[in-house]
Amino acid sequence: MNYTLRHTTRYLYNAPVTLCHSEARVLPRRTLYQECSASELTISPLPRVQAERRDVFGNRVLYCAMEDVHQSLDVTVTTELTTLPLAPLPASSPAWEDVAKQLHSDSRFDMQLYRLDSPFIRRNDELAAFARHCFTPGRPLIEGALALNQLIYDTFEYDPSFTTLATPLSDVLANRRGVCQDFAHLAIGALRSVGLAARYVSGYLETQPPPGQPRLVGADASHAWLATWIPDWGWLALDPTNGTIAGEQHPVLAWGRDYADVAPLKGVMNGGGEHQLEVEVDVMPITAE
Amino acid sequence: MTAPVSSTLLELGTAGLVEDYFHQLGERKPGIFDAMMDRHGKLRPGWESLLGSLDTLGPEGRLQQHEEIQRLLAENGVIFNMHDDARRSWRLDPLPWVIDHAQWQALELGLIQRSRLLNALYDDIYGARSLFDKGLLPTQALIASAHLLLPCHGSQPGDRPAISFHGVDVIQDSEGQWRVIGDRLQAPSGTGFTLENRILMARALPEMYRNAPLKRLAGFLDNYHRTLTALAYQHRDNPNIVLLTPGPSSPRYFEHAYLANYLNIDLAEGQDLVVRDSQLWLRTLGGLQPVDVVLRHCDDAYCDPLELRGDSQLGVPGLLQAARTGGVAISNALGVGILESPELADYLPALCEHLLGEKLLLPNADAATIPATAPVFDNQMQRLTPTTLNLRCFINRSASSLTTPGQQLSDYHVMPGGLAWVGTPGSPSLSSPIVKDVWVTANAPQPHVSQLRQARGPVVATRDGTDLPSRVAESLFWLGRYGERLDARARLLREALMRLMEVDQDEIADQLLDELLIALNITTLNNDGEGAKLRIVGFVQKRAALLAQFDDTDSQALHALFDQLLRNARSVRDHLGDDSWRVINQLRQRVSAFNSSLGASAARRSCEGLSAQIAAFFGLCNETMPHHYGWRFMDIGRFLDRVLGLLSLLKLTLNAPHTPGLALWEVVLSTTDNFTAYRRRYRSELHPEAILDLLLFDETNPRSVGYMLQRLERQMNRLPGSSSPYRNAERRLLIQANAALHLADIDRLNHLTDTPEAQQALAQLLDQLIEPLMALSDAISQSHFSHVERPRQLVSMEPDA
Repeated sequence: MNYTLRHTTRYLYNAPVTLCHSEARVLPRRTLYQECSASELTISPLPRVQAERRDVFGNRVLYCAMEDVHQSLDVTVTTELTTLPLAPLPASSPAWEDVAKQLHSDSRFDMQLYRLDSPFIRRNDELAAFARHCFTPGRPLIEGALALNQLIYDTFEYDPSFTTLATPLSDVLANRRGVCQDFAHLAIGALRSVGLAARYVSGYLETQPPPGQPRLVGADASHAWLATWIPDWGWLALDPTNGTIAGEQHPVLAWGRDYADVAPLKGVMNGGGEHQLEVEVDVMPITAE
Repeated sequence: MTAPVSSTLLELGTAGLVEDYFHQLGERKPGIFDAMMDRHGKLRPGWESLLGSLDTLGPEGRLQQHEEIQRLLAENGVIFNMHDDARRSWRLDPLPWVIDHAQWQALELGLIQRSRLLNALYDDIYGARSLFDKGLLPTQALIASAHLLLPCHGSQPGDRPAISFHGVDVIQDSEGQWRVIGDRLQAPSGTGFTLENRILMARALPEMYRNAPLKRLAGFLDNYHRTLTALAYQHRDNPNIVLLTPGPSSPRYFEHAYLANYLNIDLAEGQDLVVRDSQLWLRTLGGLQPVDVVLRHCDDAYCDPLELRGDSQLGVPGLLQAARTGGVAISNALGVGILESPELADYLPALCEHLLGEKLLLPNADAATIPATAPVFDNQMQRLTPTTLNLRCFINRSASSLTTPGQQLSDYHVMPGGLAWVGTPGSPSLSSPIVKDVWVTANAPQPHVSQLRQARGPVVATRDGTDLPSRVAESLFWLGRYGERLDARARLLREALMRLMEVDQDEIADQLLDELLIALNITTLNNDGEGAKLRIVGFVQKRAALLAQFDDTDSQALHALFDQLLRNARSVRDHLGDDSWRVINQLRQRVSAFNSSLGASAARRSCEGLSAQIAAFFGLCNETMPHHYGWRFMDIGRFLDRVLGLLSLLKLTLNAPHTPGLALWEVVLSTTDNFTAYRRRYRSELHPEAILDLLLFDETNPRSVGYMLQRLERQMNRLPGSSSPYRNAERRLLIQANAALHLADIDRLNHLTDTPEAQQALAQLLDQLIEPLMALSDAISQSHFSHVERPRQLVSMEPDA
């Protein structure tokens, strides 16, 4: 699929900001299944310093410093990208316990990074028990992972009013409600608690307007899902919010251990007082004509 | 080579000390390595003359020397240790730990290898990460560690070493083999104490010290200074280096102040620094000054709230990015904390083979390690007893190694000595009961280096021009204000207590005492309105109210004022002379002895002592501080507070214009210490007009409003930015006050005691003075200090624990 992505993050302050150092993860990365064109980036006010680097996860990080007095910050990125269909899933996969055992003794940094605790996700018995609903003894890994994805989709309610960034996973699990970020964290926590590897993926999802109505600009949203490691195949991306495998319809922005590693815009500023956040996202499919 | 117990020593009786010690060794676990004696009871090289000197002194002489050392230690503690709960309580043993050339060389080679190894390890952990995949690192333990900082990945510029200063704790095991307890890389402390121990030994035992063929420490920190200079990317001839400290609340602040002083660099807190244009800057009175190198004494995670711990108030937002792009060099690099992980110990031998192609020279200590013994004097200085010693060593990357590629042995300096403390292996140094100087013997006698001194040059360097950090200027200003406020309160209390002791004799209600209680804000004039304090009736109640001022629970009483003074003084410790700091300490002792059960008479004497000590403090500051901007801000703070205090006291006299109102005028003279001046000049009864003349208009009287306004004007004219023709707010306010004073119609103030018109005129004049002067303090803060503001997070990313 070809897409044009437009992502605007806007902060409005009620007092002047004299200095703001900021880190943005809003430039989509290349993946095995995704090609990106050069992004068009507009930052207002104009940053005095702007630099791009790769973080330890391979994400593109934009550092910018706004050093003139300003009362709003607007970061808009427009990117054209192409997503490719996923490779077919293997017909069979090893029992999940064997994979967990094998991963335990795997010394690779990039594997252990996604198996251990992270800022928002702590492994625990409660999460392990939740995972074992799907990871029954001897069950093939892929089957278990897909079942977990489906379980969250079937039994949890999407409720933006219920959670915030600070809502602990135990509350999400107990109340069976949350948003995409919570469901991704929950699945990751469950997978890690039984010894598997899982990472948090941030990206987008194209939404379909109601039949007969035009697409509304800015109506799409950032989305989050997860991926778990399948030996000899790769990272299998799962979207528990929609109960699907995240593939061609899921343009990827960045990944990390959890949300803390991929927050779209972080910053430290002097001044500013109270602020208001506005986010606009457009995921526009480009139809070949 | 070991020396036998010589016959001369036997004659001197050293054999007693030594034989007794050897006997004790035999009683413990024979065969265990001892620092002083070999298995055959022979002294190891370098100990003989030392023991000879100590033995000549005899137990009495040793005790005397020891007491001298303890006095000097306590003195230093007063000068540098500002943190009550972190005050080291150890004693310094008169017998140093002698390490002979051969033993030292083994240690030195091992330490240099370790520093090279950890440098290479840093480069891989935060670079290619290939050692994880090869199975050479404990991947899970390192990833689980809070000290592995993912944002530091790839952040260290390739042309700067991650580690330029390295602390290593070691012990000797039962075979005499050196073993590592742990590494100190984030903020290696202990150099200050090491220098202190050496200086104290040299002072207390000059003969012994001068004759010893031991390696001197002085060159080591000079080398470190050169290394820091060589790290700079810009201004390479004379780079601006700062020591980043968490501030006076850190238990290690002693070292930070001491080191900054010794290296002659600025002591900076995170809030003094800012990143702009990818460069680090120091906020000073003259604006932003570029900083080229940061000697970091904050832990890794706290150094940058943008990329590292967002809740840190100690760091500088954007510091890591500035380091990444070469805007500032940091010693040591952020992220080195992971190399302190104890989990690495088992992996080091293989890592050393892999990274350096060498066998690891210094093994780590483990649970099975039996420590060696070393002698230490007992408390009476009579016997030597075997104990366990820890040693902290310091390794510094040489400046030349930064410009020439490739690693060589000469690229590293190891301090020939270190901080030794008594305790089980790995016990913390600060809680140790006994420390020792460490003498590394040289093959040839070493020249005495005169650079060995407490500080490089005067305590306050001559750099306090406009490059004075704004925070320092602000603290000095408030130091002046609180010092003066404390003094004024002590003087008023003294007067009130004297009055109390007089009325003690007759039980009549005393108008003056009531007025003094109002002046002290213990009661208020009217009993209505917000915050009004009830009029106190009765002698006993008044006495209790006054003595409560000596209790530390009252928020406006002496303790609270002194705490404010101390807080500000601590944060500018490196700008105050040692003598003034001693006075601060005496003040602290006095104030901490205050309690409400003091008698009125003792309390009055305490007030007098307090005033005298505050005068001594400011007097010493005036004598020893260079009269640069910092001193001017302190002086402005003092005189601003003093003039406001006097004006409010004068205002109070208006509320008691009747008899015995004159007594209050007398109090005004006393509290301002002008009674004698008045007597000499007027030789007459108390005339309010004459008193007013002395206290308001007489510009030759240092306690008069006229004099104080002149002084404020003189100081403010010399502040930065004052040469501009634009009259800034603070100078306009001062002109306003001056005009009110000079335009006052003195004739209208005649017959003050019985004409309401005169009283009204005075009230008006006082208000005209008080109003602009009250606004002056804010104006000064605005124009000189206000660019210190706390940065905040755009989005809080701290998950709930």
